[in-house]
Amino acid sequence: MFRLTSKIAWASLVRRRTRSVLVVMMIAVSLWGLFFMEGIYDGMTEQMINNAIRSDSGHISLFGEGYRLDPDLSRQVVDVAVVDSFLARDNRVLSYVKRLKQDGLVATAHYSRGVAIFGVDLAAEEKHGRLKGYLSQGEFSFGKKGRGTIIGFKLADKLQVRIGRKIVLSAQNSHGEVSAAPLKVMGILKTNNMALDENAVFIGDKKARKLLAIDEGVSQVAVILHDEAQIAGLQEELRHKFPHLEILRWDELYPALMQSRVMMEGFNLVASLLVFCVAALGIFGVMLVSVLERLREFGIMLAIGTRFSQIRNIIFVESFFLGFIGFSFGSLIGGATLYFFKVNGLDLSMFSDAFDEFGMDAVTYAIVRPSYFVTALAAVTLATFLSVLIPLRVLKKSKPIEAINKV
Amino acid sequence: MDNLLEIKQINKTFQPNKEVEVVALRDVNLDIERGGFVVLSGPSGSGKTTLLNIIGGLDDATSGEVILDGQLLTGLSEVALSEIRRDHIGFVFQAYNLIPVLTAKENIEYVMKLQGRSQQECDERSLEVTQKLGIDTLLGKLPNQLSGGQQQRVAVARAVAATPKLILADEPTANLDSKTAASLMDMMQRLNEDEGVTIIFSSHDPLVIGKAKHSIVLKDGKVIANERVC
Repeated sequence: MFRLTSKIAWASLVRRRTRSVLVVMMIAVSLWGLFFMEGIYDGMTEQMINNAIRSDSGHISLFGEGYRLDPDLSRQVVDVAVVDSFLARDNRVLSYVKRLKQDGLVATAHYSRGVAIFGVDLAAEEKHGRLKGYLSQGEFSFGKKGRGTIIGFKLADKLQVRIGRKIVLSAQNSHGEVSAAPLKVMGILKTNNMALDENAVFIGDKKARKLLAIDEGVSQVAVILHDEAQIAGLQEELRHKFPHLEILRWDELYPALMQSRVMMEGFNLVASLLVFCVAALGIFGVMLVSVLERLREFGIMLAIGTRFSQIRNIIFVESFFLGFIGFSFGSLIGGATLYFFKVNGLDLSMFSDAFDEFGMDAVTYAIVRPSYFVTALAAVTLATFLSVLIPLRVLKKSKPIEAINKV
Repeated sequence: MDNLLEIKQINKTFQPNKEVEVVALRDVNLDIERGGFVVLSGPSGSGKTTLLNIIGGLDDATSGEVILDGQLLTGLSEVALSEIRRDHIGFVFQAYNLIPVLTAKENIEYVMKLQGRSQQECDERSLEVTQKLGIDTLLGKLPNQLSGGQQQRVAVARAVAATPKLILADEPTANLDSKTAASLMDMMQRLNEDEGVTIIFSSHDPLVIGKAKHSIVLKDGKVIANERVC
């Protein structure tokens, strides 16, 4: 009987093929739009998060006690060797870097500005967050004698310096005295992490220690894990192991980015709701007209012994066919589009100024998540069932058997 | 006498609006014997279709009882009536009323499928019936590819194939030319004799009426003649 039900449902759709094709297209195109928006927006958000993790926070950062509230050189991670030993042995850890940080002042002949000084090991940073990938000008080096610096592109704009120009970096050292060092701009970074692009001055670890007159300790240890799912577990263990340190996840350090991710989930839900409405209204319109046109046909079927529940099944199957075919086409073209932009990226360079303001990349690489398709399938399935309830009620009320005798 | 159908004190009143009341059937009492070939005749508006609809459970009587093979149909639920129509009653309508998206074979097998018969049973039975009716070459065609006479034969085959106790045919020849109508009636007569199925049909046509073994005449909703031809 199911085969016959499906055959009647399918044949009825084919008989009204223009209408059926239009509804299928409506569902497919709206799904395509949904997948495109979800994939691109998620891609943008994840790239921003990824930039922050790679260039600064890692998945987890360790700071000295009180450093976050008062970033002073006296609040360092002092037992570096113990931390080193723990992280080096933990197989959840992909990489980690140690940074010395201090607020300072950078000056040129024309301009001076407060900055964040990062004393780093470039080789470790490259292995850790592939920092070299953010280099927009110059070279990823502090020079042979370690007297060079790499700065953020916005800072370079504000200082009006180019590669090869000199800047003077000054800061209060651990003895409370101001020390200064002339540095040559070797490279300019564009991380799309606004905090770094506007304020960061990267110098060599040794140079930083000399400038700040500090022999031991680091300001931050940033850790990247193999698997994001292990972040909370490792954070707990580190807190237990190093109770005197502040151990924070990336989302605690960058709550705005986490909010963006949550907002995207909300946006995806709203977008799915819109697709549900489009699918439901489309199918509802077609099914209502179809039911009204076929009162006589349903009347015949009821008269010769078909139960109303069997007629209802035919209508449900018709609706399901419309929804499922629409979903399949939508998923196919949506999935293919996202795959294309996942590989090639969506180049929005024409809006790069606006993107820079928000710390976003001009080229966005789409994300393809199975959840897009699962949510959309749920929305379309729900739409296929709910949209036929009113047509079924209309059918029940209109007493189709009476239509048989109207020639 | 072995009655298949008993109709007791059936009245039917329609009320199209509050002021108007139309009496379609008045105190109709009939006994239809098993294997009967019965014609309901009478002028338009005499209540033939209404009576057939009430017998077939497609419409409710205002009062009275319909008993089919000992089972009281009056007051049964929609689901129960639907099962009785599926298992015990075949319908042939004036306007053929085949399911437009199914082929002739699928139309014929439709009620058998509702009854839960296997595909093999359906195939065998539809072949048997269509061979008897001379339409075994039309099985793959859709209703819109068949002539009126062919469609009505398929409709008869659909009604007969499910081996009902009773076939109700509402003016089955009304849309057919006289030659096709006579041929269809001969065919229905043969089925009545071969299969032993009771057939009640309504008609205006004297040639068709003349073939019946039991003639009932209605006028203004009342039975004015009820004769059996020996």
